[in-house]
Amino acid sequence: MLNTERTVLRPIYAERINGLHDDKMAINDFKLKTIGIGNFDFDDWGFVYFPDFKFEPIGTDKPYGYRYIGTNFRRFLEQMPKYVNRHSALGGAWIKPITDYMPIGWAPEDQPPEELRACWKKYDTYPGFGAMNHCAGDMTIGLKLGWGGLLEKIRYYRELNNPSDTAFYDCEEDVVLGTQAYVAGIAAEARRMAAEESDPLYKQNLLEIAQMNEWLIYNPPRTLREACQFIAHFQSIDRTYYVGGALDQLDEVLRPYYERDKAAGLIEDDEVVWYLASLFFNDTHYSQIAGLTPDGSRDMTSRMSFLILDAMHYLRIPINIALRVSDLVHPELLRRALEYILEDGTGVSFSLNKGIEEGYARNGYPIQLARQRIKVGCNWCAIPGREYPLQDVTRANMAMAFWHALQDIREGERSLEKLFERTCHHIKIIVDSIKEGYDLHYECAGRNRPEVVYNLFMHGCIERGLNCSEGGVDILNFNIDGIGLATVADSFAAIEQRVVNEGRLTWDKLFEILDANYEGYENERLMLKNISRFGAPDSPARKWALALRDFFVSTCKETGTPKYNLPIIPGLFSHGSIYEYGKRLPATPNGRKAGEPISHSSEPDPGFATGLNTFSPTLKATAVAETQPGYGNSAPLHLDIDADMLEKNGGIDALVALIHAHNHMGGTLINLNCLNERVLREAHEDPSKHPDLVVRVTGYSAFFASLSKAYRQQIIDRFLSKNG
Amino acid sequence: MKFTAELAKTQGSIFNIQRFSIHDGPGARTAVFFKGCNLRCRWCHNPESIDFAPSLEFYPDKCIGCGACFAVCPVSAHIIRATGADEQAIHTIDRSKCTRCLKCVETCYAGALAGVGQTVTADYIVDNVKSEMPYYQHSGGGVTFSGGECMAQPDFLYAVLVGCKEAGIHTAVDTAGNLPWSHFERILDLCDMVLYDMKAASPKVHRAMTGVDNKLIIENLRKLCKLGKRIWIRIPYIPDFNDGEIPGIADILCEIEAEAREAGRKNAFERVELIPFHKLGASKYEALGIGDPTDGIKPPSDAEVARVVEYLRERGLDAYKS
Repeated sequence: MLNTERTVLRPIYAERINGLHDDKMAINDFKLKTIGIGNFDFDDWGFVYFPDFKFEPIGTDKPYGYRYIGTNFRRFLEQMPKYVNRHSALGGAWIKPITDYMPIGWAPEDQPPEELRACWKKYDTYPGFGAMNHCAGDMTIGLKLGWGGLLEKIRYYRELNNPSDTAFYDCEEDVVLGTQAYVAGIAAEARRMAAEESDPLYKQNLLEIAQMNEWLIYNPPRTLREACQFIAHFQSIDRTYYVGGALDQLDEVLRPYYERDKAAGLIEDDEVVWYLASLFFNDTHYSQIAGLTPDGSRDMTSRMSFLILDAMHYLRIPINIALRVSDLVHPELLRRALEYILEDGTGVSFSLNKGIEEGYARNGYPIQLARQRIKVGCNWCAIPGREYPLQDVTRANMAMAFWHALQDIREGERSLEKLFERTCHHIKIIVDSIKEGYDLHYECAGRNRPEVVYNLFMHGCIERGLNCSEGGVDILNFNIDGIGLATVADSFAAIEQRVVNEGRLTWDKLFEILDANYEGYENERLMLKNISRFGAPDSPARKWALALRDFFVSTCKETGTPKYNLPIIPGLFSHGSIYEYGKRLPATPNGRKAGEPISHSSEPDPGFATGLNTFSPTLKATAVAETQPGYGNSAPLHLDIDADMLEKNGGIDALVALIHAHNHMGGTLINLNCLNERVLREAHEDPSKHPDLVVRVTGYSAFFASLSKAYRQQIIDRFLSKNG
Repeated sequence: MKFTAELAKTQGSIFNIQRFSIHDGPGARTAVFFKGCNLRCRWCHNPESIDFAPSLEFYPDKCIGCGACFAVCPVSAHIIRATGADEQAIHTIDRSKCTRCLKCVETCYAGALAGVGQTVTADYIVDNVKSEMPYYQHSGGGVTFSGGECMAQPDFLYAVLVGCKEAGIHTAVDTAGNLPWSHFERILDLCDMVLYDMKAASPKVHRAMTGVDNKLIIENLRKLCKLGKRIWIRIPYIPDFNDGEIPGIADILCEIEAEAREAGRKNAFERVELIPFHKLGASKYEALGIGDPTDGIKPPSDAEVARVVEYLRERGLDAYKS
């Protein structure tokens, strides 16, 4: 019988976890003061900033490739400050991305051709070429071998394959040697601190950290605490090198260690919660709990899944854990996750199995494999250790495609049909340009900026001597994310209603007011804006959204990349970049002025529901479910629920129903905040009033106070649009 | 009964469709609010629901002074005048002239003018309710017809209930009960449960608070219970008005409960909900241009609400705060 009880902490662990929380607040406050607000919009990243640390790279005349990176990354790991926290069960922290200390570039001969760059600029496209990892390692590879075993593996395959150029293996060897030096440095720092520590319990803890790290320099972890320490070190070097953030199926990876230690009487659950809180304090890497076994016969929820939730709850800082929901998900785990969200304001995100797994299988993979594709990124999934699924690194700007289409029809045939045809024409140019860039990425990423950390945790890279982006792993997928769906769909619907059907505006007038950026045309702007917008029942925008989605998806899927026929998986995800892309987009016919944000992923815009049909989370959920791209990549649903409403009887039951229904309707990911209007308004006005308010921005969580004003505004808009 | 083309075309007036409601019966429900009520409760927080005819709401802070409403109003009810040093346009409405034709609403893109109440067909409602089916299936929810007084539009209510039942949707009717028993008889087989208001025990107090006494209301409740209908009782709790009525209400409910048990049933009322008065209706009164009769009424504190819930529980009723 699975123990589903909440863990009650003994005072010693409560004190240590509270100490970690307070230390995180102080570290964050220092970062905000020294680095500044607006630098943490992507994630809360758990680095500890050492402003005095300096690093001198060597060989910067050619700042790319295995030799340059291996040599300098090793030196950096050796030299970087070693951080140990007396409240933590684990040692170590990363200190900032290595690119803040040394340049890492791309060889001039491997740069994309000028015409491709011009195309990306014209359409304000973020192309994905040259982008970072967005893949996940199989942690069990490292946990079984340890750093010493990984080193032996590299040396074994270098000798076996005997390549004429050993740069790949030499670089990987440098990474491991640097990591071992880093681990040894952590051990030494813990010993130094222990010598100075007066409290016997903290002294003992620091000595344990020292001993654990001395063992882990060469050997694989034996206990749960050592396994957590190993993973923490992985997090630190992964973030340092390329700001990687993907972990694994955390409950299953740790479960064997937990069960072994528990059976041996070595640990109690509250101590485990402290280990996990220490791991989360170390960094905000993404991982998953629960989900179906590959054969689909059962849900993998274990005691570890519950303890992970407990650790999140007690630590109360940004943490990126997703709970994979299926019909077989443990009902108590789902309820507990929701209870904690109600208590804490935020918590796990909900990754939904039907849309993700059945969608991925539509690419031609067996469903058993699809079930192993877990959520390890802010919106994205990967098969740890087996897939290079480059995603969340493109923005195919459909709103910019639409704007160019509008210019095309100025002097020619002015009709909705022509406008749609031209929009599709421009979308196809964007998609084709990204595909072309991906061919170049496939050719060049390894020899310029290889995935030197993830390669260690992949099945095949070391064995083949190949970077994971160029065939080190068996499965390669390249994602293209469309953005601005509702902006374009609402623009079509506004023209359809106000120009074509009602004749309240002529095409000439429409162009005139758009050219004027609505200056002097406020009533016309409101006329265009206040149609029945995407997401509202009976909205004419729905058919435009579906038609755009269908065209975008078919264009992505109809062919692979032109040179290597690499497979493409379409997505609709904007990250939090709706302000950034909006800034460069001229006025659009949905009443949006130049520079205002575009719509989010495939979501309706805030305030879409008016009149008879007032806002409901289900209206938004239905719109997002209907417009999923359908091949297993997430288009998230953001729900910011008023905690006051859900505290009532049946609130959690209703959320459980909403999550399951969204899963069955084809949804892929739900990011949930339960917020209190008063607190949110106060925190927006003066972030320092609520420094520990944690919110889920999109697939990632962050301290509200750390976000720039524009990112805070996203949360405010989403929340207040339905609360009047 | 079949949802025929004729029934599907039955028309009625509603003013809101609220999806994912967790306050109007079990599970996640779609609450459809009918326009028009035959009571005049003095604390009403949905004043836009009272009239059967459409209502005009006006939100001056949204007005951009474009003058479009002024131009289309056939009775010159809209008054726009420039005032002050900056010639700021001030927009007011002469409610005595307004016929609520709502032509002005169609011209107001700023959303300063809003029409409340729309005539729709039964199939429009059924289609909207059906679109939420996945959420009902996973929560044990369904549709709740509320108001206003939904039973005051009996033909329309009948039609939408037939349509929803045909679609396999769990149905609930939320009523104040002040209607001829024949209205109930017509829908009983189509309605899975009833949410039934109890506002006061004394007929005199009830009349003072709502404009009618409660004789018919209690009579109908007894009949419903005798038929074994699934019932949730809803008690609006307005401290200055019906605080003293709570024991009397409990007496009536307990008496009916005892009768049900004598008849061999587990209970008469599955649940009793206390609905505390709140001030959310105040801005609606202002927008409708009518005086706020709730001005001065104070919402009960959490402690007061908890005390009353506890009292009802002590009386053997399965009571909750709504």
